[in-house]
Amino acid sequence: MASLPKRIIKETERLVTDPVPGITAEPHDDNLRYFKVTIEGPAGSPYENGLFHLELYLPDDYPMEAPKVRFLTKIYHPNIDRLGRICLDILKTNWSPALQIRTVLLSVQALLASPNPNDPLANDVAEDWIKNETGAKAKAKEWTSLYAKKE
Amino acid sequence: MGNVPTKLDQDGNPIEPVSRPGYPSGNTGSSSTGTSFSGQSTNDGKTRSKRATSLVSTFLNSGSRYRSGSMQDTTYHSPHKKRSTKEKEQMKEQHARNIIVKYDESVDGGFMAPFGSYSYDKLDYDATVVKSLIIQRRLAPFYTPLQDFDPTWSREELLKIVDGLPLHASFDENPEEFEDIPIGDLKKPNFDYLIDKSSSKKEYRNMHSKIFKARLYQKRIYWQERENESFLETKLEVREGKAQNNYLPSNDLKYDLYSNGSECPICFLYFPEPMNYSKCCQQPICTECFVQIKRAEPHFPHEEVDPTKPIQNDNEKDPNLLTTEPSNCPYCATAEFAVVYTPPKNRKVGIQGIPPATYKSVNEPSETNDKDETTTAKNPNNVVSSDAIRPDWENKLNKERIRLARRSANATAIHVSNQLIDPDYASTSNDTTISSSRKTTITTSRHGSNTASRGSRQRSRQSIQDLENEMIQEAIRLSLEDEQQQNKSLKNKSPKKK
Repeated sequence: MASLPKRIIKETERLVTDPVPGITAEPHDDNLRYFKVTIEGPAGSPYENGLFHLELYLPDDYPMEAPKVRFLTKIYHPNIDRLGRICLDILKTNWSPALQIRTVLLSVQALLASPNPNDPLANDVAEDWIKNETGAKAKAKEWTSLYAKKE
Repeated sequence: MGNVPTKLDQDGNPIEPVSRPGYPSGNTGSSSTGTSFSGQSTNDGKTRSKRATSLVSTFLNSGSRYRSGSMQDTTYHSPHKKRSTKEKEQMKEQHARNIIVKYDESVDGGFMAPFGSYSYDKLDYDATVVKSLIIQRRLAPFYTPLQDFDPTWSREELLKIVDGLPLHASFDENPEEFEDIPIGDLKKPNFDYLIDKSSSKKEYRNMHSKIFKARLYQKRIYWQERENESFLETKLEVREGKAQNNYLPSNDLKYDLYSNGSECPICFLYFPEPMNYSKCCQQPICTECFVQIKRAEPHFPHEEVDPTKPIQNDNEKDPNLLTTEPSNCPYCATAEFAVVYTPPKNRKVGIQGIPPATYKSVNEPSETNDKDETTTAKNPNNVVSSDAIRPDWENKLNKERIRLARRSANATAIHVSNQLIDPDYASTSNDTTISSSRKTTITTSRHGSNTASRGSRQRSRQSIQDLENEMIQEAIRLSLEDEQQQNKSLKNKSPKKK
């Protein structure tokens, strides 16, 4: 598709006029389907006080196909692997075209607040999380202060 | 669904039934696939083994299977028949014709084909089914969307905007996908001269299908632009008072349509009401988005796994576990998405209604639009499920299962034959592959392939001739079983289909 679908234009506009607290998403100048994203670590989680950078890409078939989202900031989380890939149902089989950039990013934020080690992407982290939750959370906190510092 | 008017019927089927003699005949006579020939099998042992040989060769040249298999298959019509390339191409071309927007084919102010918000290769719904649903007023027509809507627009402003709407969204005339692919003369049906004569069979097939796709893409643009032009010319003639045209909508119709619409929550475009509404949660959805919603591709069930155990590779899973679920409601995720449509009461125009040009507003516009939810909920006729517009989903699932079973069986067989067969008899390893691939295709369980390998270990001492015969017999037996099972499952399922 050569031109940008109306939906993407309107979503981008609405993200600017009505932003989500703790989340920013800005389209790239050269490619309006590519967004630079930041998410603040949810309060009460090991990621609190961290600022995580992500990239979000809207494929050609968006909204019939889910956006591609990836963490750029290193993070210790059972559903996020070393490459920043995220295991989240709505990004895969449970994607719905009624979801939006906004709702996707909110879900990612919620995943930080409640990790699910029984459906892991990073096997070693998940194992650690199940066997020694306190230790794993301490490590996640440590990584947050190491790699996700707010500037 | 017999209510399609004659104009559609004429336009709908310009391609005559496939004629037998003109067929590309790769193999003659005995070239049938495992699933098809049992229909005509005889008890004569000789015929059997002869056919079996061709069966074996069919599997060996699995590449040419489609074309050769179809010759015989098309003689009786089972939903599992393999279609020839030519037939498939004709069906694709027919489909492309079916999704052309025509200004003189309208229902209640909307059209029979999508405006073009989604890319062409995603328009894989059953266009015939959707057309007839629209004509029966069971699904909203494909309205031309407005990019934006401002409720402060005056009648004149709105009419001006609606008058400027094109019939179809603009095309990407030279998509990257078809760069460097020759298309030749679109008016001539034959394009084999575009393909390098020295190419191998596989290259030829690849090139053929690429060129076909590129040509179809251009043809569709050409067909749609022809309609666009005739739409524009007619509009111009009518405006200048040179002609009258009953198919063009009256100003009253345009105003009534677009002064009272809503935004589709999926494409964010503005459409006339009434729209389709989700059966479960009464959210609006335009028809163009509705036809995009479909089952996921066949996949293995997603399980929560124990991270301490090794992950099972998809290749090792039983192909019969492959599954697809009916699509969920995009809004509330209720299973088996379906929409309800209540046609406008005062606006029966176009096909099976009054000519769009003669439409006059009724003074109570509120009545055109009331959604009588109590009656719609009780009337199952108004409900259209997402599966209804893609009735072939089950076929696709079965095809994928068979494909996967074959692939994993081949892998197993190659593995087994490497272990068992004396390298001096290299020629037999192929046959083993075939025989056990059939086995696993049917049993599709690990157990099945295990017995197969144990069996061949004993047999490896027998003479190769015996082994071959035995395997051929086994292949026949299994393909017969396969056929029977497919027939059975068809019989079980067919009553459910409408």
